[in-house]
Order: sequence, then structure tokens, then C-alpha cells
Amino acid sequence: MKPISRSFGMFVRQIAKDGMLWGIGLAPLLLGVMIRFGVPYVETVLSGYFHRSILVPYYQLFDLVLFLMTAYMFCFASAMVMLAERDENIAQYLAITPLGRKGYVFSRLCVPVLLSLPASIVLMLCFSLTIWPMRHLLEAAILMGLLSTVVALLVVSFSRNRVEGVAVGKLSGLLILGLVVPYFIESGLQYMVFFMPSFWIASYFLDGNIMFLMSALITSVLWILVLFRKFSTKLF
Amino acid sequence: MIHVQDLQFSYTSHPFIADINFTVPAGEIFGFLGPSGAGKTTIQKILTGLLTNFNGNVEVGGIDLKRFNRDLYERIGVDFEFPSLYEKLTGRENLKFFASLYKHHVAIDPLLESVGLINDADKKVSAYSKGMKSRLDFIKALVHDPDILFLDEPTSGLDPSNARVMKNIILQLKAEGKTIVLTTHNMYDATELCDRVAFIVDGKLVALNTPHNLIISHGASTVRYSYISDGEEKTSTTALDKTATDPLLLQLIKENRLSTIHSSEPTLNDIFTLLTGRELQ
Repeated sequence: MKPISRSFGMFVRQIAKDGMLWGIGLAPLLLGVMIRFGVPYVETVLSGYFHRSILVPYYQLFDLVLFLMTAYMFCFASAMVMLAERDENIAQYLAITPLGRKGYVFSRLCVPVLLSLPASIVLMLCFSLTIWPMRHLLEAAILMGLLSTVVALLVVSFSRNRVEGVAVGKLSGLLILGLVVPYFIESGLQYMVFFMPSFWIASYFLDGNIMFLMSALITSVLWILVLFRKFSTKLF
Repeated sequence: MIHVQDLQFSYTSHPFIADINFTVPAGEIFGFLGPSGAGKTTIQKILTGLLTNFNGNVEVGGIDLKRFNRDLYERIGVDFEFPSLYEKLTGRENLKFFASLYKHHVAIDPLLESVGLINDADKKVSAYSKGMKSRLDFIKALVHDPDILFLDEPTSGLDPSNARVMKNIILQLKAEGKTIVLTTHNMYDATELCDRVAFIVDGKLVALNTPHNLIISHGASTVRYSYISDGEEKTSTTALDKTATDPLLLQLIKENRLSTIHSSEPTLNDIFTLLTGRELQ
């Protein structure tokens, strides 16, 4: 465990020395404040104007976005650090130290995801717009962690440097659009995005059907399995 | 210490590394020589466990590289051709971090001192010159006092004085009993440092011997001399072991008419070219 903890320490140190990554780390907190205080205010204004609830039916969607953002930003920061370490040939070097490839991936990908679980739950407890039972909080934290892992793998696998990483990171936001689909498309057309884990995640929390939970898990794991080989080849 | 038998490897469907066999005993400096793209770095990647999908048997320090754990990395040190350093950290911080990954490590300052970086130890690596980075990268491979070292072009990009320092350290490490695998296309480094060298061309091992034996067995030393005849300078060459039977040379010596006389030995590069039809550099 010593090499992994040292390696994670270096990961934190790199984030601390990078202004952009600081911003990424703070983004979920800012989003939480905006959602908790901004959305109800806008709702008050809109409902006063239209004389009916406009945003309330989508409060759960706002919560899901907030939930995802913590793990997503942690993983995006992780992907940026990995890209920098690949540029500096460090990832390959760390693979031939007692840290090894698995230790490197664990310290750069798994540890941030694991840390994002309690962080996202705390943010939800502070800023969510709807009431979440603890079981749902845990399920959502795990599912968002897996989805964010997919994003990190995508960014590292398809970028040659940090600039491209930012661009791919933005593009990977399309994967998150699946969250919106079940809230706005009720017909069978919504299954056009069956390959997006985010679609099944939103479907599960909207409907409570355990099959949607299984589908979210399966699609996330499939994405991870498909991307991991390319990720590993690119990194080392 | 290192045992390679029937090694084969390919990145594609076509074989790239084929039928490589060699053994490196403890305390030897073993050199891989070959032009760029010959397969030297790929073999080094296999020997350091970075590539594991090879065919054949490879043992490093008695560890089978088809089935190894992290203990392998406590025993080997690797200096890649290109520096692998955190640019935003100082030289000392880099060494401390990499040393912290190992169970045991040596003091950092003597290492920094050995390559003349002690006064720059607290500068950020981004402010280092290419040569300084190379030197720092080299001692990074030594922080855990490994038994086996893999050095890829360790003197590349260094000025002659720092290259000398580096070569002296390599020889000192050999004297301490370390086993060193040196990958290079620099024939002078190989001739000076290596106990044995292997020529690698197109993924195949073309020759393996001591530099001296390769030179002696494949090339003859020659004597080149010049003299004045009919008012013009003329030159002639003869094999070193045929000087006693070269009538012109004997006559010129007898008549004291030699203008210049030089002996020359073939270099490892000449032997490499002779055996492979390719240039090393």
C-alpha cells in the first residue's frame, strides 16, 4: 500500500500546484450552491409568472447532475494528471517501480473515484433539492463513480495532450446527456440512447425499476472494459 | 543474472523480435548495439516487464518474467532514453518521491553530488538543461540501489565531460558487482564500457562477443604510410601482420624515405557494418 499512498500523494500535490485543476475540484461545490439556492429562486420567479410549477418536476434531474459532477470532476482532474504524466514519460516509469501499472491506475483512477463517493454524498446532503434515502445515495454514488471512470478513460484514450484532453472532456459530456432523456422523452424513442449508462441511471431513479439499475451497471462496466485496453496501451 | 531463451515478440502479425538467445552473468556490462528501430528498446521493455506478451523464456535475477510480482522492481533500475521527471518539482523532490516508492533506498545527496547536481538540487526540473535532466534521470534509477540496471542511451545529449562522469559511475557500479544492460548506438561507449556486446538488426541477434574479440576476429589492423616518389606524395597500405613481407615498406624504411606512417584498427562500427551491411550511427 505504501507505493499507492505515495503515488496518490503525488497526485494531490500536482492538483495543488495546478490552478485549473483547483478550479475543477471546486466546481461541484459552486454547482451545489447554484442548484441549492439558484434553482428554487428561478422556480419562484417562473411559477409566479406562469402560475404553475415549471422546474419542480425536474428537481431530481438537477440533483442527479450535482451528484454526477463530483465524481466527474474528480475523474477529469485525474485524467488531466495522467495525460501530463504520460507527456513527461512518468506513467511508463512508474509502471516499472514497485507501484506497477495496476498500482498506478489504482492511485490515479480508483482512489479519486472512491473519494468522490463520500464527497458526492456530503454535497447531496448539503445541496440537494429533493429528499434522497441513504440507499439511493449510495447507489447513485457508485453509479456516478462508474460513469465518471468511463469519462476519464475516454479522455486519456483519445487525447494526445492536455489541450486535447480538455476538448475530449467536453465531448464526453455528451455521454451525460443520457440523464436528461427519460425526463423529456417518454416514448420508446428514448431507448435510442440505450448505450449510455447515464440514461439507465436516470431511468432507475425516475422509475425505481431494478432492471434499469442492472442496465446502468452493465453498460458502465462494458464501457470500462472496452476502453481500458486502449487506455492502458496509450498510457504505458 | 539474465537469461533469455528463444525470445520472440511482435507488435503486429509480422514477427519483430525473433530467436533471441543470450545470458548475462552477474557483474557484467552487456551492450545492445543496433541502429534505431532495430528492436533494442523493445528487448529492454521485455526485460523490464513492460511487455509481457512475448514467446520464449526470460528470467531476470532468477524471476520468470511471465509470472512476476512487484519484487522484481525492487531489484532493477531503469534509465529510459527520454527523461521521466516531474517538471514542476525540484530535482531533490523528484528523487525523494521516486525513492519513497521502494522498501529501501539510499541517501539522495551523495547521488546528486556524484553527477554534479548538488548545487541545483533545489531548482525546478523545468529550469534544468537537457544534460542536467539526463543526469538526474540516471541517478533516479539508482535511488533504491538495484542489483540490475537497464540503461538506454545513458550518455545521449551529454557534453564530453559529463559523459565521462557518467561512464565512470557506470564502471564504478560494475566494480560494485551490479549487472548492467546498456542499450546504445554509440560504438565508443559500447567499446569502452561493455564486457560483451550483442548486435541487433531487424529484431535479430547478428553477433555476440566481447568488443575486442569482434574486432580481432572480423577485422585486421592496417598500417598506412606515405612517401615521396618522382616529386609527388604517394600512399600505400598493408596489413599489420604483413609489414615484414611488404617490399616497398621495407625499402622505404631502409632508404629512410617514409614521410608518414600510421597504424589503425577497425572500430566496432566497422565490424557492425561488415557483419550487417548497416551503419550504427
